[in-house]
Amino acid sequence: MSALVRSELLKIRTTRGWYAYLTVVVLLVGVAVAGDIGSSPDAERSLLEFQLGLVDSAGFAALLSIILGITIVTTEFRHGTITPTFLVEPQRERVVAAKAAAVSLVAALFALLALVVAAAVALTWLSIIGADLHLGDPEIGKRAAQAVLLGILWGLLGLAIGALVHSQVAALVGTLIWIFLGETLLLGFFGLLDLDGARAYLPFQALDGADGTGGADLLSYWPAVGVSLGWIALLGAAGIVRTQRRDIT
Amino acid sequence: MIEVEGLSKRFGKTQAVAGLSFRVEPGSVTGFLGPNGAGKSTTLRSVLGLVHPDAGSATVLGVPYRRLDRPFHRVGAVLEASEVHPGRSGRNHLRVLAAAAGLPRSRVEEVLALVELSGSAKRRVKGYSLGMRQRLGLAAAVLGDPEVLVLDEPANGLDPAGIRWLRDFLRSLAAEGRTILVSSHVLSEVAQTADRVVIIHRGRLIKQASVAEVLAGAEGATRVRTPDAQRLRELLAAAGASVTEVGEGVLAVDLKPERVGELAAANAIVLHELTVEQATLEEVFLELTGGETTE
Repeated sequence: MSALVRSELLKIRTTRGWYAYLTVVVLLVGVAVAGDIGSSPDAERSLLEFQLGLVDSAGFAALLSIILGITIVTTEFRHGTITPTFLVEPQRERVVAAKAAAVSLVAALFALLALVVAAAVALTWLSIIGADLHLGDPEIGKRAAQAVLLGILWGLLGLAIGALVHSQVAALVGTLIWIFLGETLLLGFFGLLDLDGARAYLPFQALDGADGTGGADLLSYWPAVGVSLGWIALLGAAGIVRTQRRDIT
Repeated sequence: MIEVEGLSKRFGKTQAVAGLSFRVEPGSVTGFLGPNGAGKSTTLRSVLGLVHPDAGSATVLGVPYRRLDRPFHRVGAVLEASEVHPGRSGRNHLRVLAAAAGLPRSRVEEVLALVELSGSAKRRVKGYSLGMRQRLGLAAAVLGDPEVLVLDEPANGLDPAGIRWLRDFLRSLAAEGRTILVSSHVLSEVAQTADRVVIIHRGRLIKQASVAEVLAGAEGATRVRTPDAQRLRELLAAAGASVTEVGEGVLAVDLKPERVGELAAANAIVLHELTVEQATLEEVFLELTGGETTE
């Protein structure tokens, strides 16, 4: 199994997409943190609450993780490399499991990189202007850990989607449509049916709850993590069945 | 070694393979022949556990591919040359597979040298010619030093020099005692390398035999050269033969030479040449698969 995971990690690292991912994580988080600090009044910059928000910016890495999760499967179907992959390991569920491990590791790495970028920008800027720093506050560490777990959850959900859909364009576009249209429509629909309580259980509402920042309409942290894992398990199981049954032609 | 038994597979409305059975003996080079669309790729992909047959079975080394322990070390396959990520270098493509199969990096360098790709190994596959991609595919197939090789149209898109290289490469692999099943729609590509042929058409078995047996059973045309071609042609046609003029005063006739000679003698026609042409495997193949017979 560890050989398969190594192979999956090597696949990720040996295309140019890898550098694109890292660059986007650095830029996205760097700009987000700088923008936050730049647009805030001096007094606010010294508050713990404000600095927690800067840590949360690392959550942007999760967007890259879901893309990675989707494409780690769909790229193989797109370029036909799924054939040699399944020749080396014909037990297809083992390939999916190895991809899940690789996605988790890389998603965690993206989140850690995002945290390092957020810290570098924030610490530099805030210490130059002489703001109070709350780096040692346990809440900061907790939010950082939550950002890492969040990235893993997004990555695994992406993997489950990719294993289910296989077509790169359909999976990426479908996910975007689902996030921006499908779930929004369902939220309204649930409202009409007086099922407001069900809203928080939708996949990306659950993931929203799992970012640690909380929200009135969202599940609290651990239930949100649990529901997210439930969606990952459900879609992942369907994805494994679909992948096993697929004829590789 | 490879056993296909009653294999059937339908894709939508197309019956790709229909009750196909054949065996590939250990240590032999078997040509798997049929026109494009005959069901070759579907059969090979069923053998390799990539396609799920509707009925029947396919086994390699006695078990379905999926149940092989460390299959990459037992069976190597070249399917399509395009099954490589264009943005990855040739070396990295092989390293990915070697890592999954638990093979050392040094093995990657060995096979790169074997297929003469060491010099281009760090270039991205996007810039490879079709011939280079085919060689990369072969390198991947032999990575695990397998005893069985399955190759689907490995000569596709190769230039004559590439085809000669491929033939020599397959011969050297066969000489090491490996079992090879190689498909082609162009018979001459495998005729010189194969010991046996399995010929299929429309998903069904047409013939399974040694190359010698196939040739022995084939009737060649009779070739006759005469200054009086026009008259002989009419006489032959009147005798029910099918005649084609293949050159200046040269006729190809589907009668035995004895019969052609008798006819000529009876009508006092001078013959300058009377020979039997050995049918080529190509002609037999075309005839068996219902293609046009070559002149």
